[in-house]
Formats: sequence, C-alpha cells, structure tokens
Amino acid sequence: MAAVKIENICKSFVPGKPVLDNVSLEVTPGELFFLLGPSGCGKSTLLRILAGLVKADAGRICFDGVDITELPPEKRQAAMVFQNYALWPHLSVFENVAFGLRILGVKGKKLQSEVMDALDTVHLADMAERRVPSLSGGQQQRVALARALAVRPAVLLLDEPLSNLDARLRDSMRSEISRICRERQQTAIYVTHDRQEALSMADRMAVLQNGGISQLGTPRELYDHPANRFCGSFLGDINFFEGTVADGMITTAFGKFPLAGAVAGANCAAIRPERIRFVDAGTCGAFAATVISGSFGGDNTQWQCEAGGVRFAVLETASPERHSGDTVYLKFDPDFLLAMK
Amino acid sequence: MNYRRMIQYVLMVLMALFLGAFLLLPVFTVVRTGCDLSLFKELLLSPVCREGLLNSLLVAVTTTAMVAVISLVLALLYDRFEFAGKEYCSLLMLLPMILPPFVGALGFQQILGHYGVVNTILVSCGMERVDFLGGQGKFFSVCLIEALHLFPIFYLNLITALGNIDPALDEAGANLGASRWQRFVRIRLPLLRSGFLAGGSIVLVWSFTELGTPLMFGYNRVMPVQVFNGLNELESNPLPYALVVVMLTVSALLYALMKYLLRTDGANSAVKGSMGSRGTQLHSWKRFLPTLVFLLVALASILPHLALIGAAFSVRWYNTVLPEHFTLEHFDNALSNPLVLPSIVNSLRYSALAMLIAVVLGVLAALMVSRWKLRGAWALDVLTMLPLAIPGLVIAFGYLGMTGRYAWARAMFDPVANPLWLLAIAYAVRRIPYVVRAVSSGLEQTPEELENAARNFGAGPVRTLVKVTLPLVAANLLVGALFAFSFSMLEVSDSLILAQKSIFYPITKALMELSQILGSGPASACAFGVWAMVFLALTLASAGILLGRKIGAIFKF
Repeated sequence: MAAVKIENICKSFVPGKPVLDNVSLEVTPGELFFLLGPSGCGKSTLLRILAGLVKADAGRICFDGVDITELPPEKRQAAMVFQNYALWPHLSVFENVAFGLRILGVKGKKLQSEVMDALDTVHLADMAERRVPSLSGGQQQRVALARALAVRPAVLLLDEPLSNLDARLRDSMRSEISRICRERQQTAIYVTHDRQEALSMADRMAVLQNGGISQLGTPRELYDHPANRFCGSFLGDINFFEGTVADGMITTAFGKFPLAGAVAGANCAAIRPERIRFVDAGTCGAFAATVISGSFGGDNTQWQCEAGGVRFAVLETASPERHSGDTVYLKFDPDFLLAMK
Repeated sequence: MNYRRMIQYVLMVLMALFLGAFLLLPVFTVVRTGCDLSLFKELLLSPVCREGLLNSLLVAVTTTAMVAVISLVLALLYDRFEFAGKEYCSLLMLLPMILPPFVGALGFQQILGHYGVVNTILVSCGMERVDFLGGQGKFFSVCLIEALHLFPIFYLNLITALGNIDPALDEAGANLGASRWQRFVRIRLPLLRSGFLAGGSIVLVWSFTELGTPLMFGYNRVMPVQVFNGLNELESNPLPYALVVVMLTVSALLYALMKYLLRTDGANSAVKGSMGSRGTQLHSWKRFLPTLVFLLVALASILPHLALIGAAFSVRWYNTVLPEHFTLEHFDNALSNPLVLPSIVNSLRYSALAMLIAVVLGVLAALMVSRWKLRGAWALDVLTMLPLAIPGLVIAFGYLGMTGRYAWARAMFDPVANPLWLLAIAYAVRRIPYVVRAVSSGLEQTPEELENAARNFGAGPVRTLVKVTLPLVAANLLVGALFAFSFSMLEVSDSLILAQKSIFYPITKALMELSQILGSGPASACAFGVWAMVFLALTLASAGILLGRKIGAIFKF
C-alpha cells in the first residue's frame, strides 16, 4: 500500500502540444484516487506514465519516497487493469491470474491458493479453467481485476475499467471495486471520464483539463465548490449568471444576491440546479421567474426558467404540475451561490 | 537512450548489414559486372538474346493473364456464394503452391507428349496427333504449368482485397439501380486494384524469371535459361551478367508499370470494411456448382503430378490412356542412384537452416516495424520486401560474382567447397518477405496492450516475447516458417546455380540431372519426384496438425 507522489510530469507526443503540462499530485496509502476528465485531457497518459508504459519528458514519480521514474514497467509493482482488459487469449483464466505470481517466484500450492483467493475475491473461483474468449465482458473485467490484485501491487492502476460494460453491470462493479480496494487498503489510481463513477467511488479526485489539474479534492468539495467553470460544468449541471461582483454580492439582471466566498476578479455566480428552491411570493431573497419548459424525470423534474432575460435550470424533487408561462418564485441557497471568473 | 533501446538499434543495424551483404551487395556485384556498354551492344545485336527477352516477356504476360482469369473466377465465387465444402475448397487452393512446377513438367509431358494420354485419346477418336509440346506448344505448356502453380498467390490476394470491400458499397450500387454486371465493373473491379497489384506483380516477376519449368520443357529461348546455359563459360564470357542486369531492369520496370497501371489514389483506404461480407446461400444442386469449379481447377493443377505418380509406378505408359503394368522398380532405381539420398539430406539441411534464418530475421524485422517502432525501421521494411521484386537468378548470380570478386566472400562461402551457408542464406533471403508478412499480420491483429499487460505484471522484454507475443502469433509464425521451408525445398534457380558439386546437390538439381539420364532416367526422376512430394506433404501435414484449427490463419497471410 504505497504512497504515490507525482512531481512536475510533462509529456508531449507532438512538439509544442503538451498532453501533460507540469502535473503534480500526491496519493496517500490506501486511498482510492480518481483522475477525471474529458477525452484527450491526458489522464490515461498519466496512468501509463505511472505504469512505465509511456516515458515522461520531465518530472518524477515516487512510490513510498522511492524514485521509480526510470524503472521499466516490470519493476514498478504497479499492476494495471486495462481498458480493454488485455487478457491473454491463449491462457486460461487461472493462467492469466497466475502470470504475475509466477514471475514473482510463487509456486505450487501457494500459487494455487493465491490465484484462487484472487478469483474468489471477484466471485470467479469456479471459472478458473475456462478460456478467456468464452467469458462475458463482465467476467473478463473481473478476471483483469483479479489478475491485478493477485500480485498485491504497491499501486493498483485502473484505466476506465468499466467503460465497456452495460449500465447495470457497471453499477454492481463500482461497488465491487470500492469494496475490494477498501477491504485491502489498496492504494489505487482510477482513470475515468464518467463523473458519476468518480463521485460515487473516489476518496479523492483530480479533474484534468488540457494536460493540467483543474481542481483536486474530495468528491463533495469538487461538486459543491468547483473552482472554475470547467470543473463546475464537468461534474454536473450548473447555472452561470453574469453580473457585477462587489462586496461579496453579485448584481444580476434580475436582482442582487449574496455570494458564498470571494474570488478575486470574479464576474459571475454559479449554482447547481438543485440548490435553487421554489418558494412562496414574498419569501426573503426570492425573485420572480417564468417557467419556460419542464423535463419530467420521475422522481424529479428539471425546469427551464427565465428571469430578467436570463435562462437557467432548476431541479425540483416531488414537483407539482407546472406549465410554461407560469410565474414562479425562486430562491438561491446562499451557501452554494459561488463567485467565479 | 536506455540499454534496451540500444540493443534494439544494434539488432536493426546488424540486420541491415546482413541484408546489405546478402541482398544489396549481390545485386550491386551483378550490376557492376554486367553494366558494360559493349556487352549490352552485343546483347542487343544478338537475335538469340532479343528473342529470349521477348519470349520471357510473353511468358510473363501470358502466365499472368491466365492466373488473373483463374483467380478472379475463383475469388468471386468464394466471395459471393456460400456453397458446399467452401472452407475445404480454399484449403485445396493451397495445394498447387506446394507442388513444384518443374516436377509437374515431367508429368505434363506424359499427358501432352507425342505418345501421351491426350494424343492417344485423339488417335482412338480417329483424329491426327497434335504436337502439343513442340513449337508454340512448348510456350503454352510452360505458361499453363506456371499459371497452375502461381494462381494461389493471386487468388489469396484477391480474396483479401474482396474481404476489405464494405458490402454496403455494392448494396448502395444495387440501391441506385446498377445491375450485377455494372456493379462488378464499376464498383468491385476498381476496388480490387490493390489485390491485382499485389498478386499480379509477384506473378509477373516470378514467371518472367522462372528457370525450372522452361528448362524441364526444353524451352531454351527464354532469358533465364540463356543465363543458366551461359554459366559454364562465365570465366571467359561475362555476357550472362549483362543478361541478368537486363532481367533485373525489366523486372523493376514491370513492377513499376503494374504499380502505375493499378495505382489506387488512396481510394482503397476509404473502403476498409469492418463488416464481414456474407455470400449468397446456394441451395440444392446449385450448392455444388462452385465446388465443382474449385475441384476442376485443383484437378488441373495436380493432374501433372498425378501423371507423374502414374509414370513412377508403371512399367510402361506409352501410347495408352492409363499406365500399364505397375512396378516399384523405379523407386528402387531412384533411391539407389548415388545422387538421390544425399540430395534429400542436403535439401533438408539447406531448407531447415534457411527456415531458421528467415524466421529469426523475419520475426525481428516484424517486431522492429510493428512493435519497437525504431527510427529508420521503414527502410528495413522496404529492404525485407525487396526480394519479391528481385529475381532469384539475380541474387544467385550475385553470390557467384561476390565469391569471384571478394576474397572474404570466397573464404567464407565458396560454393565449390561447400555451398551450405550460401544456399541457406540465398533461400532465406528470398523467403524473408513471406515470414515478415505473416508475422506482421499476426502482430497487427494482436493488441499491443496484451504485451503491455505482461510488462506491467513483471515480465521483462524477452519473457514477454516468449510467453505472450510469440504464442499469440504462433499460427502466423508457423505459416511463415512453413512457406519458407517448403519454398526452399522447391527452390530451383539458386540450387541450379550455386550447387556445383554433385555431393552438394539439393533435390531439385538432382531431379533435373536424373531426368536427363537416357533410358530409365525420366522414370527414375518421376519416382524421385514422387518421393520429394511425399516428403514435402509429410512435412506440411505435420505442420498442419501442429496448427490444428488455426490452419485458417493461412488465409490471413
């Protein structure tokens, strides 16, 4: 269970177009850390640099304080679960899982029991002798996980491991991976572009944008207090209101509102749709708006409203029937109206 | 640069040096010796040489045309229809490739000779005998037997090209009202150009420089035979070198011409279909029609070899449709000839060594290009494919020239002293493209992530290669090795030129010598031919058993 330190990692595949630009972060032992970002942000490249499959142009990587930057992949103890699983089709499930252990010199009964332990962890003990191509996608994913866990790696690397699974299987595997990592106190770095996956599983996470870290923190910190427009909108729906910011207040086209916290040079306010409430007329801090349209989602409804010529979304649970053109009164939750640039 | 990368570059340099010494240097030696204006003048003024060049060109063009027709019909049948025994039919098409054409020439004479099967039938029908193997008959016999040997190369390329055409393109044509014929001419045929180029250029150059078949038919007015016949007086008359230079130039021109005529303008890159095309299912008796066509072509290509077997087992097969009075005497005679047994041992040694060299170099070249992605690896890629365009005769001649010109070459590879290494290298160099192609296609179909995973789980580069990469491309590697071995066993031009002492003769040269012995010679040669085929078939069958179900990988080659 190693601590991971990434210092000033830079990587370009095309000169002048950095994929990773001076990325630094630390992962504590036993932590399930997520790298979240859109396609092309450099998250998979960073993971492959950690695995030693891609060489960084500059920077340093340390596991438990030991510099491993120059170590070849096979010496790193950073087992990876590949996006397409990369299971060897010419080997059985058992042999796939045993591969790394054999290299570590594990033999005989110990090998047998460790492989079966790993397969047991992912509930595949009865499939040990099966050929890989005969397994379903979900089973293959679990074999890939078992193979990585079997070698008891210092760091477990997961590269979008659930992206090839259907929604139902993905949900069950999320809790399965979280359970295993927590039970084993396994330091793990998990790459995904799926915000739900990151928010529901991560101990901490970093949002990457254009080769750099946009924000780093716990899922709740990042969701509730995004540092910038990109993080705010990447982690979920969010409304931005342009206006004039002064003395902890923002003046918009439809009123003046207090902001939670201050940001130098801020010129807008941001708030998530579920942090805007429908209130009665005359409630303190309420403002009038018109309902434009509604999208019924069963347990909630996403309303499009307009106030002072500005359109925005409001998420309401157990909502009553409303019609376009209705005048409604809304109030921002002051703790979640964030100042932003 | 880390030490592993350095080792990879060192290997690349070593390989480039090897190919430089055994591919480029021989060509350079031939060109240097043969590039003499007075020699060219003499050559152009000689009506015999002019006729040889013209005849060789005619043989090449006619053979390629025959091959194109046979292959196109078979490939279209294979692609368009689902019929009885389809998979076996395609396997059957590999058979002609492993049957040596010059051995077939012996059997062919039995069928079309003056007192052969066909003429006997004609006479029994009250018709006149036809001199199939005299005059122009020889020309067409050479073309036909070469075409029946070479069409699988063209056929496999067409099948691959057809497989790459997205069926939706044809459906779009049909949707817009194009008839079956219009779709074939306007859509499929233009998209098949890459297949025509790949298959056609190999067949064209191969048949232009083929030595064994015309030699067996006694069709001497072709350039390769003229070069071969000039070998004895090479010390005093360097004219064959000039002939070889002309042959090399014409081969390159033919290749360039094919490339120009069949240029694709990148159109094919747009049609890489991922959908598997499925042919029309034929029902009832129609299911057997395409099968029949495949069987007929296979029968035609093995008929000469069947005749050879008949001749080998018969006391007398003269002026009768079928052989009469069977005997095993010819087999005894063949084996008791002092040339035969040593030649089998020699061929085995040369071919096994050649296979080993071709496999090692081929795997390295494929890894350098597909996996290691070294700078300059493209040049190595071009170099390994070059033997497809350079006639074997040129390389063999180059080796002779090298041993004459360079003391180091004479010291290491004097063909008179022992041609083992020279022949093995000559065979190997010409088979490297097949191994590289086979292994590269395997590597391209195998995700690199599987090797990355092995590295990630602690396996070093060598262990990854042995435990993951090679097992995953094993079928392709075996196919490449198989081709290298069987083609080496059947090799004619290098063998005839470089094996100069009878104790070093490989099978092909021994067979040729045996066939020229008067009296029982041809019959013994037939028996020896059968031995050679049985031997080759056993080797291939054992490889086939090793391949098991993966035999289909041959078609990805």
